[in-house]
Amino acid sequence: MIDLIKKNAKSLQESLFSSVGSSVLTIATTYLVINFFRGMLGFAMTSDKDWLAVLNNMQLYMVQAYPEEDFIRVWLSVGLTFVLAGLSIGIWRNEERVKSSQIFNSFFKGGLGVLFFTIIAPTNASFMGNDGSVITEEVLSMDTRLGLLIPVIIFCAIFFSIRFTNLNFTVNSSDMVFFYLFLPVALIWFVKLPTIQLDQNNERIIPEPLMPIANTTKIPWTVIFVAFLASYFIGMYIKNIKSIKSAISLSWFLLPLLIFSWIFKKPQIEMSVVLGSDLPIFGFFLLWGFLVITFVNNSLFKKYYSTYLGVTFLLTIVGVFSGLPMLAKTCLLLIALFSVVVPAVSTSSQGKRSLLIVWAVALVTLTFLLRGGASDTGIVVPGSSIFGGFSLTWLLAIFGTYVSFPLGVLLALGRNSKLPIIRIVCTGIIELTRSVPYITWLFFASVTLAVFLPAGVEFNLIVRVLMVTAFFSGAYFAENIRGGLQSIPKGQYEAADAIGMSPFQKISLIIMPQALRAVIPTLVSSAITAFKDSSLVTIIGLFDFLTIGKTVIGNQSIPVNFVGHDRENLIFVAIVYWIFTFTLSRRSMKVEKKLGLGER
Amino acid sequence: MSIIQTKDVKKWFGDFQALKGISMDVAEGEVLVVCGPSGSGKSTFIRCINRLEQHQEGQIIVDGIELTNDLKNIEAIRSEVGMVFQSFNLFPHLTVMQNITLAQIWVRKKNRAESEEKAMELLERVGIPEQAQKFPGQLSGGQQQRVAIARALAMEPKIMLFDEPTSALDPEMIKEVLDVMKELAKSGMTMIVVTHEMGFAKEVADRVMLFDEGMLVEENTPEEFFNNPKSDRTKLFLSQIL
Repeated sequence: MIDLIKKNAKSLQESLFSSVGSSVLTIATTYLVINFFRGMLGFAMTSDKDWLAVLNNMQLYMVQAYPEEDFIRVWLSVGLTFVLAGLSIGIWRNEERVKSSQIFNSFFKGGLGVLFFTIIAPTNASFMGNDGSVITEEVLSMDTRLGLLIPVIIFCAIFFSIRFTNLNFTVNSSDMVFFYLFLPVALIWFVKLPTIQLDQNNERIIPEPLMPIANTTKIPWTVIFVAFLASYFIGMYIKNIKSIKSAISLSWFLLPLLIFSWIFKKPQIEMSVVLGSDLPIFGFFLLWGFLVITFVNNSLFKKYYSTYLGVTFLLTIVGVFSGLPMLAKTCLLLIALFSVVVPAVSTSSQGKRSLLIVWAVALVTLTFLLRGGASDTGIVVPGSSIFGGFSLTWLLAIFGTYVSFPLGVLLALGRNSKLPIIRIVCTGIIELTRSVPYITWLFFASVTLAVFLPAGVEFNLIVRVLMVTAFFSGAYFAENIRGGLQSIPKGQYEAADAIGMSPFQKISLIIMPQALRAVIPTLVSSAITAFKDSSLVTIIGLFDFLTIGKTVIGNQSIPVNFVGHDRENLIFVAIVYWIFTFTLSRRSMKVEKKLGLGER
Repeated sequence: MSIIQTKDVKKWFGDFQALKGISMDVAEGEVLVVCGPSGSGKSTFIRCINRLEQHQEGQIIVDGIELTNDLKNIEAIRSEVGMVFQSFNLFPHLTVMQNITLAQIWVRKKNRAESEEKAMELLERVGIPEQAQKFPGQLSGGQQQRVAIARALAMEPKIMLFDEPTSALDPEMIKEVLDVMKELAKSGMTMIVVTHEMGFAKEVADRVMLFDEGMLVEENTPEEFFNNPKSDRTKLFLSQIL
């Protein structure tokens, strides 16, 4: 043990105090860092801060004014996501083991962090009083500090000394997920933070006994945790079923669509419309697609395929401008595009089979979205917007990335295409979107976009924002990916050609994986930018996470007066943003490491 | 019966004419060595045979199929013709095993077990079965080139094209690659090899050709080519490299 300390001390000396210059730098930086944290802690602990302004508004933060009787929709969405995540982790469970010493070490480090903050926390802190005078008060007395220090030191000591015992085991790294999730769920049950209640004179009282802050959410979270656990084991059990992996991947792709229409819409479905028009249209186009796929290799059909394509496109153009139902119009467009792709992909029976599945899934999704999503919203929220808070931020970020990433890939490929018309269109889209500020696009979405849509089609403001966001971040993704494409040597294309791969296989198996791997850091920083930029939607009257903290809670006077307490809320918002972006960047570093395996 | 036939093949890069009418035949099982100074069009010519370059005039017929703009024909020919490049062009994001099985699985539609068996067989043939799970970046140049040969052979081609396969290698590694190629030649594979390795030409070639300025200058058996060349250009070429 003494050796260990000596060794550490030596390496510390070498890295921090190797020369006069580095010693000065070390001391100066340490001083600055400690003072920064002292200031922050002092700010957070003075008595004029009302942290209940944050704690009591969790519901507002999460879903804004979403009606309470529809909360079940939100919970179901969250639950479904966790179930799918559990299944995926179970199916793709890796066999990597984490050593117990590593786990204890991270506990030890965490303990050290708390110790550090407890030691440097200021005894006195000052704040500006109402009359402008500076008030200094004691925020952390020596007794409290000692009361905190002793358990923390014991905690650190236990996890430090445990590595000298022969307690050695390994844990599967996938299993660790449960531990990380178990902690917060357990905390919800045991940690008691008071909710504010008012007495007859509208004075705040602290209720007795203490009501835990998460009283209303602890049951749903626990249920979700259990469902997650169960689906993990189910995932492990079913992982050998054929094509289960592609089914799960497909579900991930469809999940946001489902959640989107689920949370936003309470579709008013008239059975007569569904039976009389939707189902026949659906069936007709399903059959059409199936026939095209089945007979595409028939010699007679092949001979007249260009005629067929021409007729289909003509029909589509006529159909789009006629009075057909929306579903029929979209299906026509879809079958026209689909017919172009079919001959290239359906060269083998396997390709045909997957085409059939793709066609069926595409049609089902489209029908579902048009019927469920385009109907008038049934969920009425007080105020102009439907939805806000963290759910909105999260939705904009996830959905933005979901749509814009594939769009970016397509635009990047299109810009590199040999066909001039595709190249010009893609370049045009990219340059047009990039050359206009994002805020301008947001105004465009809120004010102008409706003009460009066909009569009778009206999208919700959030959908319109998503549309411009998809194009905006899609353009940035496209340029990043194009950079990656340019880094692929010509020899890779030639090698793929020489072993007889089709253009589609060449791009998806050889070129794209390498191009994306080369640009992961820029892609992640684009995704982080998109996540943070979603707070700009406040400018067109949507209440995102930041706006709730800054404007809504800062001006809240009923039922409890929180006016002027926006600083606490801003700190909270900043911490939440930081947690998400930091996790994202750490994950991406791991992925990078994993993929970089083959590099020289 | 000739498996490759070219008639008066011409190709331009912009204003520069790279091939000025090449006509030749390659019989099945024949090993043909193509040599010539750099810029003489020899690489361009063999790249035309599997359509990595497009010829503008003339005819190329491979195994009875003519190369035209028809994508079906091009794909059919490419799956008959294996190619080995000067700079290996292995796929760096895939392991050696995946490099060899990829085309079998996706182009030949074989199942995974079958194609992995085939890949191991080929790796044994080129002498590096122990490297199967490594990435190309972890192998030496000679090993990479042997993997590239195995990758081409995995498609069970009738013809193999080698585009200066040893030019990017250290002298010590050249031998290991040439040994594999000699073994391949002896097994009866039809091969067209662009190379400067005259030793290889003497030992295994059935015919040697000399390209210069986009034209086929001389075509001869190795004995005649090296000992009794017909044209002055060949004599000059041989005097410079031998």
